[in-house]
Amino acid sequence: MITVTNKTDHGGDVRLTGISKTYGSFTAVHPLDLTVPQGSFFALLGASGCGKTTTLRMIAGLEEPSSGTVFLGDQEVTHLPPYKRPVNTVFQSYALFPHLDIFENVAFGLRRRGIKSVKKQVEDMLDLVQLGEQARKKPHQLSGGQQQRVAVARALINHPKVLLLDEPLGALDLKLRRQMQLELKRIQTEVGITFVHVTHDQEEAMTMADTVAVMNAGRVEQLGSPTDLYENPQTTFVANFLGTSNLIEAEVDSKTNGDIVLKAGGAGKLVLPEARCSAPTTTGGRVLVGVRPEKISLTHADEAGEIPEGRNRITGRIADSSFIGVSTQYVIDSPVCPEFEVYAQNIDRDARLVPGAEVVLHWNPAHTFGLDAAQSLLAGTVDSAGIDEQAAV
Amino acid sequence: MATLTEAPPPLTPTAPEETPPRKRGRLVPYWLLLPGILWLLIFFALPMIYQASTSVQTGSLEEGYKVTWHLSTYWDALSEYYPQFLRSVLYAGSATVLCLILGYPLAYLIAFRAGRWRNLIMILVIAPFFTSFLIRTLAWKTILADGGPVVGALNTLHVLDVTSWLGMTSGDRVLATPLAVVCGLTYNFLPFMVLPLYTSLERIDVRLHEAAGDLYAKPVTTFRRVTFPLSMPGVVSGTLLTFIPAAGDYVNADLLGSTDTRMVGNVIQTQFLRILDYPTAAALSFILMAAILIMVTLYIRKSGTEDLV
Repeated sequence: MITVTNKTDHGGDVRLTGISKTYGSFTAVHPLDLTVPQGSFFALLGASGCGKTTTLRMIAGLEEPSSGTVFLGDQEVTHLPPYKRPVNTVFQSYALFPHLDIFENVAFGLRRRGIKSVKKQVEDMLDLVQLGEQARKKPHQLSGGQQQRVAVARALINHPKVLLLDEPLGALDLKLRRQMQLELKRIQTEVGITFVHVTHDQEEAMTMADTVAVMNAGRVEQLGSPTDLYENPQTTFVANFLGTSNLIEAEVDSKTNGDIVLKAGGAGKLVLPEARCSAPTTTGGRVLVGVRPEKISLTHADEAGEIPEGRNRITGRIADSSFIGVSTQYVIDSPVCPEFEVYAQNIDRDARLVPGAEVVLHWNPAHTFGLDAAQSLLAGTVDSAGIDEQAAV
Repeated sequence: MATLTEAPPPLTPTAPEETPPRKRGRLVPYWLLLPGILWLLIFFALPMIYQASTSVQTGSLEEGYKVTWHLSTYWDALSEYYPQFLRSVLYAGSATVLCLILGYPLAYLIAFRAGRWRNLIMILVIAPFFTSFLIRTLAWKTILADGGPVVGALNTLHVLDVTSWLGMTSGDRVLATPLAVVCGLTYNFLPFMVLPLYTSLERIDVRLHEAAGDLYAKPVTTFRRVTFPLSMPGVVSGTLLTFIPAAGDYVNADLLGSTDTRMVGNVIQTQFLRILDYPTAAALSFILMAAILIMVTLYIRKSGTEDLV
């Protein structure tokens, strides 16, 4: 059925060099270099209007780049029309042909390439996506999840070098989306084709992709593995867009063997490993110190003495707490940061940790990251989304 | 537990109150239909019955007509005027094909390529309706006039030689030939083709074009396999809206044709208004109606879009 492509060849590499797209005076994608290695699951992640779909469409040939080149393996395809490119797309709304049944939808690409006996291949492909029974139904007779699988089957049957997925799960409900994420990941592992996946859902990108490129306003902010992006964000946009980050503005006090010591408002000293700071640090300069909410421990102020030495600590008062089952999410009012978020696992809950309680927040300095203080603290947060889009237009 | 015992279902007190408005509510659609039904009864069904009875009457204008169930009027009308029937089908059919050939690219252009010019082009398509049908047809008399620029150009290009050979024109003339009638019909019914075509093309998601291209279909194949099949409802309703009125039309044949181009509409008109042979005219009308119904049914069956029209 499906040939598993040799992972060592480079036929399925996608190489974009200096690729950009402008519409009149609006730049949708700034010149961009990107290499997606053969056989990887690559995600382009960003808010709507960040240029991720435009980038995908330039790979598919549905959009002509304003500059730059697109290579698939060793073949330049920049100016090839879509029907001559060895890529297939799973469209956002599936774009199934409403006048053809499921079988003919899936067979469409094979027939266009003049393949005569399509029956076996189509049936195998429909079995792969568990739709063998539905072959003679029309698309509108299927549920959203089934239509989605037809769209995947219709693209995959052509053994493309690269499969492009444009928000393929956007129209599905949450539960089905989770299920399809795993399903797509399974298919990708099985067929070994390069997948380029566009999504605005950070959880989806992190669950499925080997490599994620976070895009913002037509530029790639950061590229890396999900863990790398989450643990070592390089910009405030990435820090806020991927999960939640607490960011504190601090001043460089001194540097000692690989650690930077910082002063932050009334919080005393904070320690940040130099390797985890993406900003230039000079004594007296300003740096944004970040820490993820789940890395922080909460201790009631009465027991502050029991906190081990060598941990970063900040004092504050619980402003709000919400119990969400696996964890409790606290919002802490602190002099250095007005809304400090802390997620605590519900293992041994301290009954005194209720809104109004004075607490000490402490965490391992190794979990601290440093960012350039010249950026907006709010980039990539929900509040700033509207402003970003206005600025982009 | 407590709520279970305390809350008996309050169905009994409210049920009688709820029923009457429901009943009245159920009748509302019929009340709303009433004006339309009355209109159809008075202005469609009654005249049809009247015409049906006329078609089986015998008599004369002086002595008055009586219903005598003289069904042979139908046979007589058909055997005498079948050339006009055939001509009607031929002219209306040719005009419909021409309308489709001219109208499809235009509708396609408006639906997919016109961008911000879309509304303007739509207005231009509909604009002729602002002048009278008669005036527009008369204008074609001038356009196709003997010695006019159109005829001159066609003559120079030897097009008229070809059309004469095909029997569509005679000599150096276009006016008073079948070609002129078909041109008039095509012109007058073109908007009835373009509008339904546009409506069904405009509904096609452009992403389907992208998907077809993405699946290795060349633009021509995309048109043949995706766009055209999806526009079939528009093609069917456009051809019906063109063919049916064109088959019964008499103005174009009257103004642009000659005695050799008379269509069945002209015969009916003459029978009714000049010869005053009402039974024959009524019988001809019914034959035309039946013929069109049969052709349309066969056509819809053939194009397999019963559920879409």
